[in-house]
Amino acid sequence: MLLKGLALSFASSVAWCVLFNVPVRTIVAAGLAGVVGFLVYSILPIYGAEVLLSTFVSAAVVSLLSQLLSIILRVPSTNFSVAGIIPLVPGSLAYKAMLAFVNNDYVGGITQATKTLMVAGAIASGLIFGISVLTIWKGARYAGKRAQRD
Amino acid sequence: MSSDLVMDTCLLAGSIILKNGGETYRTEETMALIAKAAGMDDVNSSATPTSIILSFRCSGFDHTRMVRTPKRTTNLNKITLVNDVSRQFVGGKINLEQAYRTLREIDQKKQIYPKWLQHLAAATASGSFAMLAGGDWGSLVPSAIAGLIVNLSQEYLEQFVRMKFFTEFSAALLGGLFALLTVTVFPQLHLSIIIIGAMLPLFPGIAITNSLRDLMAGDLVAGVSRGVEAMLTAVSVAVATAIILSFTR
Repeated sequence: MLLKGLALSFASSVAWCVLFNVPVRTIVAAGLAGVVGFLVYSILPIYGAEVLLSTFVSAAVVSLLSQLLSIILRVPSTNFSVAGIIPLVPGSLAYKAMLAFVNNDYVGGITQATKTLMVAGAIASGLIFGISVLTIWKGARYAGKRAQRD
Repeated sequence: MSSDLVMDTCLLAGSIILKNGGETYRTEETMALIAKAAGMDDVNSSATPTSIILSFRCSGFDHTRMVRTPKRTTNLNKITLVNDVSRQFVGGKINLEQAYRTLREIDQKKQIYPKWLQHLAAATASGSFAMLAGGDWGSLVPSAIAGLIVNLSQEYLEQFVRMKFFTEFSAALLGGLFALLTVTVFPQLHLSIIIIGAMLPLFPGIAITNSLRDLMAGDLVAGVSRGVEAMLTAVSVAVATAIILSFTR
């Protein structure tokens, strides 16, 4: 079951890369980012994590991984992070919200829509977390170099 | 070094990045780096999602130019190539003429993957995302076809409609109609799974990621405008889904 999910997340990430014209030499790495994101996203609930926490952590992992891959392969990190977050997209939550709105269940619809927005916010803040960790690390390194020079 | 060539190179690099879905902070940084490496003083660059302004001082004269980029697509390969060129130029491996020529070549480049492969990729993405959302093997093929229809109609409608959000709305509507038709013919399939998969090619992934990175870089205007772009896309897809679902009541 998990293996099937991994294969599917790899397939959807790679397909998304083709849609966005990602360079050929980075396409496998971008698929790997999607697989790692999905792995974290599906393993964390086993240890009792909520959907928001697991989304946040997996988006952060994807973002960190894309920063590292962008340094290794020397390409912009957008190449990896765009494809990597695809398995985390809250598609079914958004669908449930729309279904509830159409069935005149506005309270249920707003509940589901709020959940969708929260998950989207978790993806956003996870991405931001990953970017800022590496920025802080870089800043600390340069600060260290400056201190040595002075 | 002539200041005209520096200006042309910088603006070409910047407009390629912006036209093909790069972040505005990357546009600004690349232009400023090239201009500084070419020996210009007092370099200032500013980019919004639709326009670029670059200004610098060369032997006592100020030069400022602005370009608009009204039409935007997504081609991350070109951004990577421009990134390479600017690294090589700043590192001193190529001179300005070579950089300008390479940038012109990059600007003329076609998409690396042919059209049919992109449509196939949209189908694959939709099918596998539908199965990730809890579908069984039976729903793989219909959602893949629905994703294909969404992507195809998005591409062809764009040529006639020329309005991004209405194109997305109509593409979502067509994909949803196909899902509805499939479920009517084969009642054992789940409508929800097919629709969730079909809408994936419309997901504004690049707008969301770029908006976040622009916001992080302190570029609030660009970040907010991209965020609004992503939200409008999401809302038009959601309304199309709601219209489709209202037929099933």
